[in-house]
Amino acid sequence: MRITRRQTLALAGAAPIAAPALVQAQARTISLWHVFNLETEAYMREGVRDWNAQNPNQRIEERIIPFAQYRTELVRAIATGDVPDLCVIDNPDTPSFAAQNQLTDLTQRVATSERIRASVYHTGPWSTAQWRGRTFAVPRDSNTIALYINHEMFRAAGLDPARPPGTWPDLFAAARRLTSADGRVSGLMFSARAAEDATFQWLPFLWQAGGDIDRLDGPEALDALRFWVECVTSGVSSRDVLTVSQSEGVNRLISGNAAMAISGPWDTPRVSQQARFEWSVAQLPVRGEGREIHASGLGGWNWAIPQGTRNADAAWRLIEHMSRPEHMAQSWRSGRLPPRTDVPVENPVYAQAFRAYSEQILTARPRGPHPRWPDISRPIQTAIQSALTGQAPPDVALRMAATAIRPILQQTPLRG
Amino acid sequence: MPSPARTRTRFTDSDALLPTLVAGALIFIIVFIGYPVAYNLAMSFQEVTLGNIRDFARPFVGLENYQALVADPLFWPVLRNTAIFVITNVVLQVLLGLGLAMFFLQDFPGAAWMRGMILAGWILPPLVIAAVFKWLFASNGGLINEALMGAGLTAQPVNFLSDTATAMATVTFTNVWFGTPFAMILLSAGLANLPRDVFEAAQIDGAGTLTRFTRITVPLLMPTLLAVTCLCTIYTLRAFDVIWGMTGGGPANTTNVLPVWSFQLSFQQFNFAQGAVIATMMFALVILVALLYIRSIRSELRA
Repeated sequence: MRITRRQTLALAGAAPIAAPALVQAQARTISLWHVFNLETEAYMREGVRDWNAQNPNQRIEERIIPFAQYRTELVRAIATGDVPDLCVIDNPDTPSFAAQNQLTDLTQRVATSERIRASVYHTGPWSTAQWRGRTFAVPRDSNTIALYINHEMFRAAGLDPARPPGTWPDLFAAARRLTSADGRVSGLMFSARAAEDATFQWLPFLWQAGGDIDRLDGPEALDALRFWVECVTSGVSSRDVLTVSQSEGVNRLISGNAAMAISGPWDTPRVSQQARFEWSVAQLPVRGEGREIHASGLGGWNWAIPQGTRNADAAWRLIEHMSRPEHMAQSWRSGRLPPRTDVPVENPVYAQAFRAYSEQILTARPRGPHPRWPDISRPIQTAIQSALTGQAPPDVALRMAATAIRPILQQTPLRG
Repeated sequence: MPSPARTRTRFTDSDALLPTLVAGALIFIIVFIGYPVAYNLAMSFQEVTLGNIRDFARPFVGLENYQALVADPLFWPVLRNTAIFVITNVVLQVLLGLGLAMFFLQDFPGAAWMRGMILAGWILPPLVIAAVFKWLFASNGGLINEALMGAGLTAQPVNFLSDTATAMATVTFTNVWFGTPFAMILLSAGLANLPRDVFEAAQIDGAGTLTRFTRITVPLLMPTLLAVTCLCTIYTLRAFDVIWGMTGGGPANTTNVLPVWSFQLSFQQFNFAQGAVIATMMFALVILVALLYIRSIRSELRA
């Protein structure tokens, strides 16, 4: 039978359309979306490799999305119905997705699981994965923020790096001595940019002052914001805190443009490789003057199985696989702390930072959990920026934020 | 040459060609532009959550989203910021573009090379431009402040991006840097198409440079100027990347413009309906400007 040119063209056109369906039928894959750079994140890389070796009929198909675009991509996936089988979710966002029924309810699976049990997880991370008494996610890693300090600059200013500032007044005084007259070196860098960074970095100060999000118009919140305002107006913190991210603040520490920087362990590998001076991580100072509350922010990622995937069982087994202590112990190699109590990290790299962050995380508090966290965070960011730029006095700025947040908390109380 | 005896003409010569091409373009526009616009419009009248975002039939809430948006304390400031940002950008880009185009009309050594270098600014991805300029404008350690202080022009660094008074000017400057090459290229093409003999006649009659410019160049160039102004307006109304990369809409919402706010509402606060309201408003604005553009082209074609 002679095949005409038109029939050949038709076949050529049909083949690429039919091929993927054939491939799909043969090898079942688990689609996994995350934000981790496989070159540096040993936990992810080796955990996935291990799974693929043991489960050749259910290989993991990874999609790595940059952090800044991640939530947008997830929302888009939900809108188009094309969700992955397993994904990670930033811990403050988890209640938002859970409350809108976009995550598979894992309560039953947790009840029958040997490896995933509430008692084994630190309470902070575990609480971010719950909504109305049911479990919608499993914590993957945790982080918090503390104070990176440059030992050379400390000694040059007559300060002892082995005794870092322990109270806010000490911190301010030290930063003053560390700030150079020409402004080239800032004593203290933090992040107050128009993004979640600002809220994440300021909340520890709010909590240390004895305040909380439902009392932003109270004296404690004013105290905490006034401290930041003073750091900026006095020049010990560069005005660039209003535009830099937490990691960019650490860049300034590394390049010698800042003596102290507040950030988390995700920056530790970079500091270790690039800093040409002796450095260490210190606990965040307490308020002092009668208040000795230790507090910091709790960050980290949770595993979640989006609603609408047909591979939930395989995804759950993958979560259990990745939650094995021998895998989780690898996460510190890229500066991520395990959220479980049964994961010993033998001979950790960046040993001093590990000890410091492991201690700080014991007093780290989660943001919320609240399903409308972004609507709470935005007014706080605006208040911080308004006060730091001098656009409004701190009490006015905080009152505006409190007014914006009050109806949200009335509808759904914090930790509700 | 096809012989007269052939009964089938080639498709590309037949009467069916024009309607087919038009139909193809229409289908493309309806699917890729009309459908999203209609979808957005529908969303702006509905209550939209992550739970029902997949469905088309969501609860109808009438003008509630519009009212809520207008009542939002950010509404008028964002609208004002957008107006300032767009008007300043368009005026500066067109004027600078025209100036540069006139400048490069003259043939001097290196003209072509310089023009190519200017165009490089437009080819760069806007987020890259935002990142670089954010670093250049940094209060401590930024190159621009170092230069200003080194030249003795200011004693203290200027807080370009972290002062509510200067942030908008700074992102405007960056966006103008980014968009002017586009205006320059279009106006260069327009200038190149002006008839030489009119200028020569005017010169013989004794008209000076300024008179030639105001009485001949500008009127003849008017259709192109209108077109460039409309295009600049449309592009600037949509401008998101430069502002997002430099300030994220801050500090304290002083550089928050409509597209940035829409993004924040939809993708950060899960308030898709209000994000759709902003998108619909922007669409209406852009349609108005686009209609002006079409009219200006039509007069150019006729001329």
